Amino acid sequence: MKRPFQLNTHISAKYNQELEALKHSVLTMGGLLEQQMVNTLIAIEEKIPNLAERVSLNDAKIDAMEHQVEQECMRIIATRNPAASDLRLVMTVVKVATDLERIGDEIVRINRLIQSNGMPNSEFLLAGLLDIGNRIVNLMRGTLDAFARQDEKAAVIAHKQDADIDRVYKKLLEQTAEEIKSHPEDIYMWMDVLWSVRSFERIGDRCKSICEYVFFLNSGKNRKKISTKKNLKRLLKNG
Amino acid sequence: MLKLFEREVIAVDELSLSQTGIDVRDLSVELNDKRVLNEINIRIPKHKITALIGQSGCGKTTLLSSFNRMNELNRRHKTTGEVWINERNIYNKRENLAALRSRVGMVFQRPNPFPMSIYENVCFGLKIKGETSRRVLDDAVENALEQAALWSEVRDRLFDSALTLSGGQQQRLMIARALALSPQILLLDEPTSALDPLTTLHIEELINQLKKNCTIVIVTHNMQQAARVSDYAAFLHQGELIEFADSDSLFTLPAKQQTEDYITGRYG
Repeated sequence: MKRPFQLNTHISAKYNQELEALKHSVLTMGGLLEQQMVNTLIAIEEKIPNLAERVSLNDAKIDAMEHQVEQECMRIIATRNPAASDLRLVMTVVKVATDLERIGDEIVRINRLIQSNGMPNSEFLLAGLLDIGNRIVNLMRGTLDAFARQDEKAAVIAHKQDADIDRVYKKLLEQTAEEIKSHPEDIYMWMDVLWSVRSFERIGDRCKSICEYVFFLNSGKNRKKISTKKNLKRLLKNG
Repeated sequence: MLKLFEREVIAVDELSLSQTGIDVRDLSVELNDKRVLNEINIRIPKHKITALIGQSGCGKTTLLSSFNRMNELNRRHKTTGEVWINERNIYNKRENLAALRSRVGMVFQRPNPFPMSIYENVCFGLKIKGETSRRVLDDAVENALEQAALWSEVRDRLFDSALTLSGGQQQRLMIARALALSPQILLLDEPTSALDPLTTLHIEELINQLKKNCTIVIVTHNMQQAARVSDYAAFLHQGELIEFADSDSLFTLPAKQQTEDYITGRYG
């Protein structure tokens, strides 16, 4: 059974507000993360360790927000006994908050590269990191947008972007391996690079999971096993 | 730090006197030589909804009815202690009981409309108080019915017998009857136990609206209802007040093991 998901139709106006606030809370969290990511890219491009440090310190805010969201979900489950779509929303919000918090941690990891002053002076690396970073920002934006509107089509489109990110990630890995081979004395420096490239890729995966929750939220079905290609075709066909 | 959820909850032990609607001090009640309430001390917050929960026979209803001295309808009762409402101990010898009960309204488990018209039911209290002006009565009836979310359903048949209304409507009529007297405090004794879930939600929503003007105390067996509707909750067990806290804490992290056992269904 498929019905448009509506939050504002409960008899209890307070319950409506609580669910709205809950959904809004993860979007606020996502917005802050997006800003963190953009700042990280600026710090990488212009090599500003101070900015990277500030981004790392900001992560405490994200952690606190995740804690608040969890508390609120617990409170709503205990006091409201949400059922059906409301229950799915609460469960999804818990999972999204966890994923967002992890994205925050990955961003901190990326920033360590700049803070440690160990970033190798390499054209391809800078270009590669900015490329994957910008793709990640787009993916994050698309994912949060899909979640906010509970738009399955937007979720599939965002989901698909992760494949490009994986491709860029692999290319960066290969190039890094080449660099390590030719300059084995700098291996520690390049290992830091590997970690941060890996962090970018992980953020992509987290966003992908959030896109999958959009399906779960709307239909109650887990779309993980269904290929996105099939999904995309189906959704685009249905308009 | 950014706060994602705006909620102002004052902890029960931080309630000031001006935030207290009913201040109960060392209240003990004996009915038929049996001690039903044992030295209860509780401060019911003003303009909030407080739920009393506990097993049958733990003293919830007795505590509720001691707030407007309804217990005294039982001849073999004995009450000691004080209940302060509006800086006045209602257990003083010169308290005007009729006036007290018009300030502290009560709605019972089963709707008990008088066998009169809907209109007469709502303005009954006002008439007893001596109000005769038709205009005042009309306004009061419309106001009370509107507040009780019943006006739109009965406006065309105000002079039909109240007994023709459905159970949910009758219960809302009872709330309207209590509201017509503009009470400061509204006591609800299981107001929805005989109603279907959706009507229950409507009445709960109504209760939530009413707290702007009234302090509300609700007795309920339905724990979920207590959790949904109340701002504060008190757990009673065998005449003792075990725990009193804001509902968010009581239903997510109760301080006492007994409360935890009760709300998680582990008792007995």
